[in-house]
This record gives sequence, structure tokens and C-alpha cells, in this order.
Amino acid sequence: MSGDSAASAPGRPGDRPERPVGRKPAGSRWGRLFEGGLLEGGVQGSPVIRLFMRWVRRPLLPVMRLWRRNIQLKVVATTLLMSLGVVLLLGFVVIGQVRNGLLDAKVKASQSQATGGFAVAKQQAEEAVSVTGDEETAADGRPSQSVIQWMSDLVESLSSGGQGAFDVVTLPAADASGSGRGPRASGQVNPTASVPAELRERIDENTSAAQSYTRIVYDTGKESQPALVIGKQVNDPNRDPYQLYYLFPLTQEEKSLSLVKGTLATAGLFVVVLLGAIAWLVVRQVVTPVRMAAGIAERLSAGRLQERMKVTGEDDIARLGEAFNKMAQNLQLKISQLEDLSRMQRRFVSDVSHELRTPLTTVRMAADVIHEAREDFDPVTARSAELLADQLDRFESLLADLLEISRFDAGAAALEAEPIDLRDVVRRVVSGAEPLAERKGTRVKVVGDQQPVVAEADARRVERVLRNLVVNAVEHGEGRDVVVRLAAAGGAVAVAVRDYGVGLKPGEATRVFSRFWRADPARARTTGGTGLGLSIALEDARLHGGWLQAWGEPGGGSQFRLTLPRTADEPLRGSPIPLEPKDSRRNRGLDDAGLPSGGRHGGKSATAPARQPGADGPARDPFALPPTAVTPTADPTALPGNGARVVARTGSTRMTPGTPAGDGTPHGGGTGDGTATRRTSRGEPDSGAEGPGGGSASRDGERDGEASRGR
Amino acid sequence: MAYAAGGVVLLAGCASMPDSGDLRGVESTPRQDTQVRVFAMPPSEDATPTQIVQGFLEALTSDDPDYKTARQYLTPQAAKTWRPELSTTVLSNGPGARADRPDREDTGSLSYTLTGSKVATVDEQQSFAPASGPYDKLVHLTKDAKSGQWRIDVVPQGVVMGKSDFQRNYMSVNKYYFASNTTRTAGTALPMAVADPVYVRRHVDPTTRMVNSLLGGPTTWLDPVVRSSFPTGTALREGTGPLTPDDRGRLTVPLNDSAAEVGTGRCEEMAAQLLFTLRGLSPAVDEVELRAGGGQLCSLTREGAEIVATRGALHQPEYLYFVDGERRLARIAAGTSDTDPDPVPGPLGEGGTTLRSVAVARDERSAAGVGVDGKSLYVTSLVAGSSLGEPVLSSRGKTEDDRLTAPSWDAQGGLWVADRDPDAPGLYLLEDGGGEPVEVRTPGLDGRVRAVRVAADGVRIALVVEEGERRSLLIGRIERNTEAGGTDERPAVTVLELRSATPELEQVTAMSWAGDSRLVVVGREEGGVEQMKYVEVDGSTPDVTPPAALTGVKAVTASEDELAPLVAYSVDGIVRLPSGAQWQKVTEGTAPVYPG
Repeated sequence: MSGDSAASAPGRPGDRPERPVGRKPAGSRWGRLFEGGLLEGGVQGSPVIRLFMRWVRRPLLPVMRLWRRNIQLKVVATTLLMSLGVVLLLGFVVIGQVRNGLLDAKVKASQSQATGGFAVAKQQAEEAVSVTGDEETAADGRPSQSVIQWMSDLVESLSSGGQGAFDVVTLPAADASGSGRGPRASGQVNPTASVPAELRERIDENTSAAQSYTRIVYDTGKESQPALVIGKQVNDPNRDPYQLYYLFPLTQEEKSLSLVKGTLATAGLFVVVLLGAIAWLVVRQVVTPVRMAAGIAERLSAGRLQERMKVTGEDDIARLGEAFNKMAQNLQLKISQLEDLSRMQRRFVSDVSHELRTPLTTVRMAADVIHEAREDFDPVTARSAELLADQLDRFESLLADLLEISRFDAGAAALEAEPIDLRDVVRRVVSGAEPLAERKGTRVKVVGDQQPVVAEADARRVERVLRNLVVNAVEHGEGRDVVVRLAAAGGAVAVAVRDYGVGLKPGEATRVFSRFWRADPARARTTGGTGLGLSIALEDARLHGGWLQAWGEPGGGSQFRLTLPRTADEPLRGSPIPLEPKDSRRNRGLDDAGLPSGGRHGGKSATAPARQPGADGPARDPFALPPTAVTPTADPTALPGNGARVVARTGSTRMTPGTPAGDGTPHGGGTGDGTATRRTSRGEPDSGAEGPGGGSASRDGERDGEASRGR
Repeated sequence: MAYAAGGVVLLAGCASMPDSGDLRGVESTPRQDTQVRVFAMPPSEDATPTQIVQGFLEALTSDDPDYKTARQYLTPQAAKTWRPELSTTVLSNGPGARADRPDREDTGSLSYTLTGSKVATVDEQQSFAPASGPYDKLVHLTKDAKSGQWRIDVVPQGVVMGKSDFQRNYMSVNKYYFASNTTRTAGTALPMAVADPVYVRRHVDPTTRMVNSLLGGPTTWLDPVVRSSFPTGTALREGTGPLTPDDRGRLTVPLNDSAAEVGTGRCEEMAAQLLFTLRGLSPAVDEVELRAGGGQLCSLTREGAEIVATRGALHQPEYLYFVDGERRLARIAAGTSDTDPDPVPGPLGEGGTTLRSVAVARDERSAAGVGVDGKSLYVTSLVAGSSLGEPVLSSRGKTEDDRLTAPSWDAQGGLWVADRDPDAPGLYLLEDGGGEPVEVRTPGLDGRVRAVRVAADGVRIALVVEEGERRSLLIGRIERNTEAGGTDERPAVTVLELRSATPELEQVTAMSWAGDSRLVVVGREEGGVEQMKYVEVDGSTPDVTPPAALTGVKAVTASEDELAPLVAYSVDGIVRLPSGAQWQKVTEGTAPVYPG
């Protein structure tokens, strides 16, 4: 695994384009805002509001983020809020009770005091009547006595009984007649402002005493204060009624209440702080192991299966840790078992191939003897000898391919890279394919060989790949031209092989790279290559850190493109040649039948397999695979030999006309949509991909074995 | 561990009431003002004539500054002519209103008679005078033809109210002027301030009113013997609002141009007059700044005023003097709880002459004593070794009670004494405590003078005069006139305009000055028992608590410095009344006197 340094590569290329995508809309929103502000002058409100909202939200975002991520903050904040609520509620209840208690006591004391005062006032009036009755007998029955002074004296004597404890006020009755109508007040009280009007009306209507709460207003600069006022209608010596009020300031009660308030507030503050601290401590005790577990799980998922949690004690947290550790251990065990199994299988294939080689050599020598002597045999036997030789050739090449594949699987393939000019390789390949082309009546054209196309590559492997592609193209080209296009741009060089044969059905573009894949599995593999050619080519491309991708459309031919980095270590960012050629039917606006078609999308491209060599890393290690959803998955059991053939690079099967352009193609293709997760497995055509291609099902047969053509 | 223990102790300390701690001064909280105020009500719609009259009388007892509410009860014509500031009549029990011809109410014209018994009057100069007799004034109401409302169209000038209303609404304040009749000032070169009590309304900007009253000059009774430092015509500058001291007690008094030319010395005397006058008012005035002609004349603080001028209450007696059991003159330090008397130095303290009553000069350097038989008056120095000398005055009265009274020193060193001889009664003044006695003329005085006390300012004299069975307290002013008579060398001294300070007391047995304008009197009302009380020189009762009762008081003395305790000679010997306590026995002896 260590060799696959780009183990997470499948995920990474997927991520990379995402960021620009994410950033771009943000930028364009700003742009839109700018435009909106400038162009749509009439509706300025919304941008301004949006701007304001954003301005408000911006500083809150880190807080929100912290809130979402930090359970400790959540618990502590909730605890604080709840305890604050309880403390407030408690405070209200307690203060209310204390207030009622204070008031009750004050009211009782005040009532008895006021009642006594009213009795004194009544008594004084009666005494005044009896005293003056003798002196000034009012014969005419008129009120002869002046109560002006009497009233003032009364107020003074009443109020002198409680300096500061209460004040006395007299007010005229509503139907005031006679003298003494002027309000009188002790202690600088403003009588009319201090006695509420409702109380005055009540006293007027009712002869019994009544009480009310009010604020005493002072004529001096003194601050007004809450008070209890008790009033009653009393008669003066002339038997004229007047209103007598006792005002009891609640200053002392208010002081007591504010003392209680202060005490409660202090206590409440302490309680809230205490609860917050307790919550913080408790949550810390719980959250710390949870955070540790999360960190360990992250490391486990990153493949470091030997990570374990530290377990201390025997509490719930410790049990969690133990269970977690047990789980990790089991996972590690299973994964290593599977790895062992996979390694065993690969070795088995390799061993079988080797073991078959020795008897095959003997068989070969014997067959060669027989073949040499075939002319001595009767025709039937001679034919058998020829067949034997043919099938031995095939067997040999199959065995060679299997050995090659098993070398790749074992990671034994070594790249001997050196700067080579791809034009030489292409020329060699084309000239090697010349006889076959002549037989098929096909011309092989080379385009783009004016400039040297130099790359650091293994000439033998590149030649093998290209030969495979060109031979395939010639064989399936149905006699039409085959175009080999070379290009170099950026840090990459590319060779594309284009044919105009039957093409590929949708979904096949990825499957062509599968081992032993053929379009129609019912047909026996009697002709053509071993079915491993393209697989080996793909592995070769990967070894270089390059891509091998296929594109095809039913009836429109296909194109295979090999992209290699210019220098061996450099990762690829794009290809100089678009995967879908410019003369594809879709680009020309034709449907499958060659007719112009507007909406149909017959084009099928597959950026299949070839990726960095590491692309098979995750496939070989299924348990490590899940993290990135974009990564292609494969059922390891569905793969022959090993699980490494799963390739993800299918890309979009329906490429939009624009996307192939430029060097962005591989990215777009690789990351796009759900098709990237498509499983490729031998003999199981993707039904979804089959659909659009249903119309050309009749041509399946002709394309049979396309993918298995090799060499 | 130790910290924990300390914490527990600290907590335990917090959890219980403290039983020890720092010493700390207690700030005296101002006594709460429980004064009753009357709020005048304007006449209500369709009020009956009785209501109008009663409402008017009630409005007179309110704090309305210019009686605006009271004027609403008057017809516009009457409101213009009515002058409430002319006088205040105090009735014993409030004015009663009796309707004349009540059956003619519907004619639109109605008369009421205000009745009551007079107690006192306050004249236009705000000078209080006791009064007696019935009060009987007519009030006439008319019904306004248009509005149909009753209003008063004939109203007596001035204000009338009951005694307790008067006490609630008015207060007595001393104006201060400088004594002008003294030929010279002995010992001190400071002008002596004389108190001139007037009555102002308590709640109606008393500061400004007192300043105006002071600028307006002394009351008629005191006018001949005092001078004012304010130039004639001085008044507050026109348009001056109410005067109130600022936060630091500084009062700025803007004067008109009449005062613009005074010098600094004169101005400081003016300021001293103001400060003395305003000292008892609230808010307190600690500094006075006089302004005139657009600039500052001078500024004087309360302490500065006592350097510029003096008044009787500022003189603190050093000793209390009395005649001890061996008839010698002895003394005790004043204002202490000391009860151990010392004989004074000098012949009077040596016991060579037995004494009946004594007087010590205000500088406490010389003393006068009347022999035990009341015949002879000796004057001597309070210096050891000096000789007694011959009596300066002798009486030929037949009995002890008909001979000389206790002498009294004035601030200028003059010694006053009266001879009670029924055949040759007389009041004598010995200038400088010696020489030929001057007989003081007392026009208008009937009866014999039983006791003499001269005020510290030297312009007022208190006499107890026996007239038949009645002994009353009279206050007179002392005029010294060099032109009106007497020999060329000696000015004629006259006591003029004696007036009663205690008309209700019929037997005054002892009295003494107890303040700038206050006396303490022991006497008996008609049909009453003997009591001790304070009176103002104008005859009103001051707003202070009377001294605790004491029986059998034969002599009383008080200092004009109000901090010195009141001292009396009663059946228990010499007793004193420290402030806020009960009478305490000091020692055996008779005739206690403070200097003066």
C-alpha cells in the first residue's frame, strides 16, 4: 500500500474542482449584487437589506459554527439559561411574598394608627363643640365658630404623634360648605397630588374609612415616595364633614424590599455561576473521552488501524472505550484477513501462470514439431495441427498477459522511464500495424507529428499500449480510416486513436477496460486477443501516472486517448486532446442513424480507468474505501483475479459538447455526477447505460469483443 | 487549617450583630419638619356669603406669598385697596364671623362682623406688641350683578388670624443695629449690635424679607438709640429676585446706588448687620457679599462679622458669681460641672463685708456688692490686695426690702442700682462704677423699681416695677442726652418708653437677660402658680422650650450667651440647668449672677 502514495487520490481530484465551484458562486453573487445595485436602481431596498443582513451575520458565523460544533458550549449555555430562568422565577416569587408580608404588617399597623387618629379627630370636634357651645350660642343656628384654626391645630396635633412615620392631610369634602375647606398638610406634603382622586370619591360616598396606595409628592425638592394612604370622612365642630387622611410612607418597607432584592440577586448570580461551572465540569468529563473517541475514529478511518483509545477506570466512559477498542481490533483483524486472502489469490494466479508455463513449453515444442510436419499429414490432421498451433499461440499470449497482469497486481511492474519522442513510438506502431491495415483496407493517418512530442516514459510500455489501441482501431474500423493524433500541452502529452467503426454503446466506454470483458458474453472467445489487452494498457498508463480513456458512440466510432505527464512525477491536470473528438456525431448534430438530431444524445464517452497508479489503491482495500462517495466502488468478489480493476474514471457518460474542450475534460469527467460511482463488472452490463443504446442493439454483435481486443 | 479556622471565625463575625467596633461620629439628622401648612382655595362657584367670609379668613392663614388667593374673595376694587402687610392682628382663638341681618341675603348686600379677643398685633414695621381687648371689625359683601357671585367689598386692612396660626406662620427674627447712644465703649472698640425683634412669615422667603426689613431701618421704639450702617435710602437693587445663599452658604446682596460710595469699614459693618440678622434663618448664611454700583463692595464671613462688631450673646462669661454661706463673694467656672466654689480675690471675697447681693462687671475685673442690710453699695476691684473703700451709695430705707436692689453693670462699665425707699425711690447710674451717682430720669414710671438689669448693649434696661400689688416686667430704652439737661459734664440719662414684656404675669419675682432680645422671667399669672419662662423684649413668647419647672425661685440669672446654663437660687440653694438636663444643685449660697 505504501507504494500507492496517492491512495486518496480518487477523492482528491474530486475535491479539487469543488472548491472553485464553491467559490465561484460567492464571487458571482457579489458581482450580481454589484450589478443589481448599479443597474436596478429602482429596487435598492433588497440589496441594501441583504448587505445589512450579511454584515450582521458575518461576525455571528463563527459563533454559530462554534455553537454547532461544541456540545460543551451548548450544554453550558443551556444550563445557564435554564438556571437563570429558575432563579428569576424564584426571585419573583420570593420578592412577591416578602413584599406581601411587609405590606401586610405595615397595613395592619397603619390601620390601627389611622383608626386611632380618626377617633381623636372626632373626639376633638366634640370637645370643641362642648367648649364653645357655652360661650357663643348661635341663636340663629349658623355656624358661628371658626374652625380654621381648630383644623390647623388638629392636623398639627395629629401629625406631631408620628414624625416621619406618617403625615396628616385634610381635604374638603366634595360638597364643602362652611369653613375649613382649605387643604391642610403636614410635613411638606402636597395634599392634592398625594391623595388619589378615586380615594377621595370613595371617601365622599362612604363614611367608612378606605385605603389606597399612592405616591407622596412633596412641595420641597424631596423625592416622592410610595405610601399607604388611609382616609375617612370626619365632622368638624360645626358638623360639617371633611376628609382626614393619614399618609404612611413605605420608605422603610421599600428599603427592606430592596435589601431582599439585592440579596436574592447576589445569591441568584452565585447559583447561576455555580450551575454553569458544574455543567462545564460535568460536560468536560463526558466530552473529553468523546472527543478522544472521535479523534481515534478519524485516525482509524484514515487507515491507522492500530490506534486505540486510552481506557481508565470502569465507568460508562471506560466501557465505551473498551467497546470501541474491541470494534477497532475486530475491524483490523477482518481487514488483514481479507488482505491476506486477496494476496493469496494474486499469488495463486501468478503461480498458476508460472506453473503452466513449463508444461506449455514442452507442449509447444511438441506442437511445433507436429506443425512442421503437418504437410505430411492428411488434411484433417494437418488442419488439427494448425489449430493446435494457433490455440497454443493464443494460450501463450494469454499466459503472458496473465503474468503481466499478475506482475501489475503484485506491484512488481517497474517503470523504466526515459525521455522519448512519442512520434517514433507511433511510427513504429503504425508501421507494425501496416500489414493488418492493408488486409482490412484501412489507412492509418498520423496527425500532429510535426513537433516532437517528448515525454518521460517507458518506451516499451507506451508502444504496447499504442499498438493495442491502433490494432483495435484497425480491426474495428470496418475499413475506414484510423487517425492517430498526437499533442502536447502544459505538463502533458496525449495520443488519441480515432476510428469510425461501430463505436461503443453507452456504458461500454468504461467496461472496455475490464478484464475478459466482451460485449456479448454468450459468445465464446474464439478469436481476437486475450481480453486482457486493454486492461494491461490501462495498467501501463497508470504506471506512468497517466490516463487511458475511451469514448464512443454507437455507429459513430470511438476514440481512445492516452495522456501521459511530461515528467514522470508530475500529476496530470488535463489532456491536450479532448476526449470526444470534434467530428463526433453529437458535435456534428447527427443522431445515431446519421441524421441530424437536436435533442438526442447518442454520444457516449468513458473516461475509463486510466488514472494514476494509485487509483487502484482503494479498490484493493475495500474497507478503507468508503470515505469518499465519489470514489468508484466495486464488489471485490466480482472481479477476477483481484479487486484492483475497478476503475472509477468513468466520468460522465453524457458529456456536454462544451466540456471536452480544453484540458478541463478529465476533471469534469471525473467528478461530475453519480455515474462516477458506477460499478464495472464483467458480464454485467449496466442496465441504465444500456437504455439509450437500445436502438442499436442489433449492432452489438459486430462490436463484440471490442474490449478484449488487444495487441 | 489556620486559614480555614480564620475563615470560619470571619464568617461567624459576619453572621451576628457586632458588639464592638470603630468609634464613629453620628451626623445629626435634621429634625423633620412637621409643620402644618394650609393651602388656600379660591372661592368656589356660587359660594354662600358665609363660605366667602370663611374662605377669605382661611386664605389669610395660608402661605400664599402675596395673598393672591385671598384677594380672589374680594371685589376688584377692594383687592386694590386692601393692604395685608399693614398689620397682623392675633386673636386668641381665631376670628369668628357673625352675620348681621341674615334675612336680607337676597338683597345683594350683606355684612359680617369679625369678632374675637385680641392677643397681639404686629404693625407695619413687623414689630410685635401684646394687645388685649375685643376685636370687632366689619366685613361687607356684595353680590356681583353680572356673575351673581358674592364678594367682599369692605374689608379691614391687614390680616387677622388665631394665635396658633400665627405661631405656625410667623417667626421672630432679630434685626441688628448698632447702639448709638453710648458715649464711649469700654474695653472694646467694637460697635455693639442691638437686637430688634420683628416677625416675618416663616414660609414666604424670610431671607429676602429680613434683608428688606433690615434695610428699612429699626422699629420706632428702638430707633432713637441705634444707628444703621446702611446709608439712608439703601434698598435692594430693583428687580432683585429672592435672595438665596449658594451651596457654600454665600449670600450675594445687590444694593442700589445709595450704598455705592461706602468705604470698606462701613461696608463690613453693613455685612455684619446682615450676618447677625440672618444667622438664625434657614438656609444658613455663612458669608455675605454686598454689591452695589456694578461692583463688589465687600464680603464678610460669619467669623469676620464677630471681629467687625459684637453683640451681647458673643460675650462668654468666665465665672458664675454668688454669695456663699459666709456672705462672701465666691465664684465657680461657668459652663462646667464644677461644684467647688472659690472666694474671689479682693476684699469682697475675703469676708470683711457681709454681702446681700452682688454684681460683677462684664470684664470681670471689678465687682459691686450690696451689704447684707441693703444699705450700702460697695464697688471694688477683683484683684487681691485692693481695698474695699467707702460705700458709693447708701439707702435710707427703713427695712431691708426698702433699700437697695441688686446692682447691674452695663457694657460700658456703668453700674445701675435702684433704691427701693418708698420715700425716695430712684434709679441711679454710677459711671465707671464710682463717682457721684446720677439719678436716672424715668418719665412715665409709676411705682417702685424692685429689680434692675441692663442689657449688654447698654441701650435697653429691664425693670421689675412694683405698683400696688402688681409687679410687672418693663423694658425701657436708655437715652443719654448731653443737651437736654443735667450738668455740663454729665449727660442726662433717661429711661424712656417703658413697655410691658409680660402683661399676663402679675407677680414677677426675678428676671435676667438670657439673650440678645430675650429674658428669663420668674413670675406668677393671675390665679396661677409661679413659673419660669422666657419672654422676648417685645412681649411675645419665643419659640423655645421653657426651662424645667422649679419651685421657690428667689433669684435667677442667665448669660446672654445661650450656651451658659441657667442658674437660679431656690429653696435648694444654687441650682443650674445645663442644656438638655434637669436642675442640678451646685452649692449652697445666695444671689447667683453672671457678669453683667
